[in-house]
Amino acid sequence: MQGIAALQPYVIALFLVWAALMKLFSRRMRAEAGRTALARLVGSARAIPTLRLVGVVELAVAAALLLPPVTPEEGAAAAVLSAGFLAYLAYAYAAAPTSSCGCLGAHSHPVDWRAFARAGLLCAAGVAAIWARPYPLDPPLVALGLVEVVALLGLSAELDRLWLSPLRQLLVRLRQPLAVRSPAEIPLEVSLHLLYLSPAYCSASAQLTSDVQDVWDEDGLRFVVYGARERTAVFSIPLAGADPSTVRVALT
Amino acid sequence: MTSRRQMLKSALLGGGASVVAATALGSLGPEAAFATAGAPEVEPGTVDPNFAEGRIRSIKDNTLLVLGSNMVFHNIRVVDGTSLWKLGPVPFEQAKPGDGLYARGVRMPDGVLAAEAVWLNIVNIKGHIKNITSDKIHLDHNGQEVLCHVVPGKSVAVHSESPPSADLSMLRVSQHVQILGAWRPDTNEVDIATVFSPH
Repeated sequence: MQGIAALQPYVIALFLVWAALMKLFSRRMRAEAGRTALARLVGSARAIPTLRLVGVVELAVAAALLLPPVTPEEGAAAAVLSAGFLAYLAYAYAAAPTSSCGCLGAHSHPVDWRAFARAGLLCAAGVAAIWARPYPLDPPLVALGLVEVVALLGLSAELDRLWLSPLRQLLVRLRQPLAVRSPAEIPLEVSLHLLYLSPAYCSASAQLTSDVQDVWDEDGLRFVVYGARERTAVFSIPLAGADPSTVRVALT
Repeated sequence: MTSRRQMLKSALLGGGASVVAATALGSLGPEAAFATAGAPEVEPGTVDPNFAEGRIRSIKDNTLLVLGSNMVFHNIRVVDGTSLWKLGPVPFEQAKPGDGLYARGVRMPDGVLAAEAVWLNIVNIKGHIKNITSDKIHLDHNGQEVLCHVVPGKSVAVHSESPPSADLSMLRVSQHVQILGAWRPDTNEVDIATVFSPH
């Protein structure tokens, strides 16, 4: 337990430095500050100064956590900061459900369970850090710290485009989940596209008053029926082939 | 039905096919449900009397009682010549209470809309593809996930200006798309009619 507690200041500091640097130096984040839940909370005119202030506080807490001596107050400060983030997320979720949180970088995802899980994990880490004492780092402890960092990074929607989207793209390429299973079936839309391009449809379209009333396939043709004022328009569209001039129409 | 189809087929193939005067009114396909009212007799800013939208509250004989999103009730009569769309042409029995609809037709003196075309649960949504799983596209629409089902034999993809294709395997995670489809009432799920992708 001692080792785990001793690890937490480093983990928290890493994320606080990241958050602070994004808030203080990211031009894109400043540009999008007006669209975050923070703008809703403090007003869009004060969003950027507030963002900078939070960044400075985060940097100060991170510095205190990283620099000796290790005191319980540092852990408490980190826990309070994380609890503040949780409260802010709850506010964002309730008051501005479509806004992004503006926590660790610019992105357009609204607050979801991952944002809460990350803030909750950081808050728990802050509480654990209260009991942090100088402790020698050994390989299992470093591995544990890495797992914790990876979990926190995995919960960060800001980084999705770097790993989650490429991973999903790769899986889709390997698994082909949308591969056609019944190629013999020709969707109606394919026939209708040919119909819309045909001289027959152009000549009759002004008469049409309804959408497709009936459709059936017979003898390699697809018959499509429309209402045409008091009458009926029937088109025959070849199922194979792509020549619009082969479409025929009759008004009955 | 078969005899009617035979009659229509013979009219078409029997040499009696007549071609009417050419004008360009445009398509009355599902896309037309979203077209702005083209009728010149409707003053800007006023309600088009020949159009109705809302959700079906009840169905009595051939009449749909529809509650509009502006809390106005519409009586919509479906007749033999009315086309119904629900991911494709469907018979009247497919209309169910709870379905959303757009209807175009002719307003009768008694206030009933005699429908010429009814589109059930039709939706037109834009977003980016979050993930693709077996026959499903997970669409991120303004941060809300919409689960879009690929329906074999019905769903098509239109890539850029190319003709529609039943092959949707060109779609990629994180690309932007527009989906025309049929909403499954009271869920965040949609059956795909057409996916439009810019490339």
